[in-house]
Amino acid sequence: MSVTSENRTHDAAAFSLWRHRFAFPIRMGSGLATILKGVPLLVVFFAFWEAAPRLGLLNPIFFPPLSVVVEAWLEMIRTGVLGRNIGISLQRATLGFALAVAVALPLGVLMGRYARFEQLTDLMVQTLRNTSQFALLPVFIMLLGIGEASKVAICFYASVFFLLVNTISGVKSVDPLFLKAARSMGASDLDIFVKVILPASIPSIAAGARLAVKASIVAVIGAEMLAAQSGLGYLIHQSQLMMETPDMYAGILTLTFIGLAVNYLLVALEARATAWRGQAEGAPH
Amino acid sequence: MDRIRLEDVRKTFTLKAGQTVSLGGVPTNRIPVLSGVDLTIRKGEFVTLAGPSGSGKSVLLDIIGGLTEASSGTAYVGATPVTRPDPSTAYVFQQYALFPWRTAQQNIEFALEVRGVPKAERRERARRYLALFGLRGFEDRYPAQLSGGMQQRVAIARALSTDPEVLLMDEPFAALDAQTRDILQGELLRIWDEIKTTIVFVTHSIDEAVYLADRVVVMTARPGTVKEIIEIDLPRPRDLEIRNTAAFARLRGRVWEVLRDEVTKAQRDWQIAAH
Ligand SMILES: Nc1ncnc2c1ncn2[C@@H]1O[C@H](COP(=O)(O)OP(=O)(O)OP(=O)(O)O)[C@@H](O)[C@H]1O
Ligand SMILES: [Mg+2]
Repeated sequence: MSVTSENRTHDAAAFSLWRHRFAFPIRMGSGLATILKGVPLLVVFFAFWEAAPRLGLLNPIFFPPLSVVVEAWLEMIRTGVLGRNIGISLQRATLGFALAVAVALPLGVLMGRYARFEQLTDLMVQTLRNTSQFALLPVFIMLLGIGEASKVAICFYASVFFLLVNTISGVKSVDPLFLKAARSMGASDLDIFVKVILPASIPSIAAGARLAVKASIVAVIGAEMLAAQSGLGYLIHQSQLMMETPDMYAGILTLTFIGLAVNYLLVALEARATAWRGQAEGAPH
Repeated sequence: MDRIRLEDVRKTFTLKAGQTVSLGGVPTNRIPVLSGVDLTIRKGEFVTLAGPSGSGKSVLLDIIGGLTEASSGTAYVGATPVTRPDPSTAYVFQQYALFPWRTAQQNIEFALEVRGVPKAERRERARRYLALFGLRGFEDRYPAQLSGGMQQRVAIARALSTDPEVLLMDEPFAALDAQTRDILQGELLRIWDEIKTTIVFVTHSIDEAVYLADRVVVMTARPGTVKEIIEIDLPRPRDLEIRNTAAFARLRGRVWEVLRDEVTKAQRDWQIAAH
């Protein structure tokens, strides 16, 4: 034998440690400087947005100047319309995400740990995963009605697979040496699940969670545009139908801000959950 | 009194269907790794295990530690045959095997947690063992923030914190630089001198094998058996200087002589496989 399996295990262990460290090559530190470099282009964009409709380059009915949009936005904040709809949308997205966590974590741990179980379930999961959540909206509505449940369901569906896939791969890439060490110390199967496999998979699960939260927000907006009487998506869609384009753009901008804020929050949470990996990492992208 | 007794321990790995390796030019899916190991280790003895790569040293430790089952034969720790990891046996690995998401303190507590030791006692014990290895003040560091030598100290502290009767060490210092290795060898001897637990220590370094041991067990090339046992009658406590003595040189030469043929055999084994 040219390579002993012992050596192979060590290589695999070293490799998986290496991978753990560098799986998410995101850096902070230079963050602010990078952001500042991007500011001029953004300013140009906003200036164009303000000027073009005023100069007649764009039709102000479809593209109202930025200042008009901001005015509409402030008005929507003042009346509480915006806050209420943001609250509704976030509540749906959060519920869907939370359900997805509750399902994907145990399922993913089982699928990642037991090859038999994965063989049984994998094809089913792949089939469901490749079915668009929006295509399923009519089904959810038929099953769950037009109310909250169908919106929560679509958020769940949109986010569950990101969590599941990353939980499975996290569990599978747990360094076998950790399992061996835990067993040598007499850890029970439950101890090994809770104290080794789960924490070792946290970096992977956290990365999946970040994608899942984004997907959940996208899903809720989409669903609200297609079939809802409230929420940010509904607000944007409705403003378009009523040709209240300043309101529409205000809604779109709100979504952008929410997206940025959520991303920062998630990156920060992820960095905290994986602080043991060494230097602080994580920057929005 | 005997602490560990191996009676005709054999191990053959059977590869999964479809996988084969070439042994002596013959394709097979069965790899004999240990072919009848007989060995008795006394209570409180420090035994080092040397042998060519692939001679089954790690597998033998796994069998003693209850992590792998022997294909036939029996390993006894105390009076009972080993069937699963025993709470009175601890294991130290070459790659430290610390949990990177736990601090030094929490890593040691892991071994105590899974034994159901109450929290306050866990704390106190973990601190005491870190201090024993000169790691006071490093309790809250994560492994990534510790040097290799410190990580291995934590791993050894973790193993010893459970008061094991048997300590299995698989090339624990192989990944460390020469100075750190010397220091840790000294620390290990100092602590072993106090607690006198039974240690089985695998190493590729003949110097290390002789310096630490009461007896050096030399294994044959795969499939491994005990080729020869060399008594190390050097006085204790031993300091590093002992390596410059004639007695040490003689023992080193003796171990190398026994080992040489086996290493050559093992190399031939690999060459055949590579073709
Ligand atoms: N799980 C396994 N499946 C198949 N073969 C294995 C397995 N574990 C070990 N082996 C084989 O058993 C043989 C002995 O392995 P072992 O790791 O015990 O050797 P070793 O003496 O510790 O070598 P080294 O000095 O390189 O660490 C090797 O040829 C290895 O390929
Ligand atoms: Mg080995």
